[in-house]
Amino acid sequence: MEIKAFTVADLKTALVSEDFWLTKTLPITKHRALSYSRNPRAEADDLVLLVAYQDNRVVGYLGILPDKIFSNDVVYKLGWLTSWWVDPSCATTGVGAILLFKALNAYDQYIGVSGSSREARKALQASQKFMALKPLRGLDIRLRMNVTREILRRLPMLKIFQGLFKIVDVMMDEVMDVRRFFWQRRKNPGQGLTFEYISAIDEEADRFIQRHYQQDLTRKGKPDFNWILNNPWILSAPLKDAASKKYYFSSRADRFSYLAIKVFEHHPEMMGFLLLKVRNDRMSVVFSYFENRHAASITAAVFHHALVMNMSILSLYDERLVATISELGCPCWSAQIKSRGFSLSKAFADIPLANSRMQGGDGDLVFY
Amino acid sequence: MHAKITQMLFSVIDELNQLRPPDEYLTKDLETPITGDSGRLDSAGLINLIALTEQKAAAELGRPLLLTDDRTLSQVNQVFRTLGTLADYIHLRLNEKK
Repeated sequence: MEIKAFTVADLKTALVSEDFWLTKTLPITKHRALSYSRNPRAEADDLVLLVAYQDNRVVGYLGILPDKIFSNDVVYKLGWLTSWWVDPSCATTGVGAILLFKALNAYDQYIGVSGSSREARKALQASQKFMALKPLRGLDIRLRMNVTREILRRLPMLKIFQGLFKIVDVMMDEVMDVRRFFWQRRKNPGQGLTFEYISAIDEEADRFIQRHYQQDLTRKGKPDFNWILNNPWILSAPLKDAASKKYYFSSRADRFSYLAIKVFEHHPEMMGFLLLKVRNDRMSVVFSYFENRHAASITAAVFHHALVMNMSILSLYDERLVATISELGCPCWSAQIKSRGFSLSKAFADIPLANSRMQGGDGDLVFY
Repeated sequence: MHAKITQMLFSVIDELNQLRPPDEYLTKDLETPITGDSGRLDSAGLINLIALTEQKAAAELGRPLLLTDDRTLSQVNQVFRTLGTLADYIHLRLNEKK
């Protein structure tokens, strides 16, 4: 078995190499490789991908997303683990362990993990090298039933009844729409709010974010958001292409986009900045910046967008937005409490992180 | 020294077995395969074995031992082939530090 380590510079070379993309299993997609190579927080010699080959076959890989975290104005470099995969036929070859420890060594043991599969959590816990941060408590608010999608996802053999399920969906959503109509008439939650959609962070948004990110662990700024907006890991595409069939992690969705929104209320001064992620029928607030006194208005702005865009689920991981949801009283089918876990390696044990704020898109979560 | 290392590894196996169903218990035998085609540990299992071995080496042998350095990682299949090969490697590494 051979482990190849790809730095940002190596990945740029791989992008133009034909051989790299010929393997039966791909360790990365081209658009994800492009994104890695443009990461503003990565240096050319930062390790970003480890690939295990056996007889020219990819049998495991691990992506690493270089980032910086801030504590008391001290900056620490780290790598977030992402896309850790081992060919099941090689499960007992130790390849998963080699990939993990090589990543830890390459980043001087400064590694973070955002979300993870059950298998990955088990392995990370076993290493005794990671400590869990306080998880983000969030909400998944179901705005539309969309039973068709849920049923067909779990029981694809019922596709012949798809028409029937869709009728049920339409009827139930009509009921909800009527309730929301009266709710909007009564409460008018978005009254006085105006929005500006931006494709890149402008000076006003940049200044606003910088005024509100002091408590953030990763303090994302203009270059970071512009990179995220322009370099998604998931592309909107109607069908699975050849690459997505050869890659174990998500690389396409029927609908995937980001929405960067400047929020205003009455006066010309910005009161909030939101980065929303739309994946199929789910909208997630991945980054949000505002003052506590504006929480209700920002929550209303988020809700307004989810409703107008016909979202089935709205995911929130900002505790201030979660807290003001009940005040808003918007009719919905359910509100399910969710948590989003982050871990850092124990090299961070002596660094004061208790007062730092994590956002729902931190680590690699903004990309999924 | 080798006997102490073997005992230490057997106590690691005792701890690992506590986390495994009885039909997947590892035998306390130097021939017990760890990795490879007949290996008994998946990635999480191997990671656990490494973490426990490093811990117990410090506690029971009084010597720090690092099994996650690049030198070890470059020969995982040889070092972790069986409990016996692991014992030999630990013996080698501890003697180097003297």
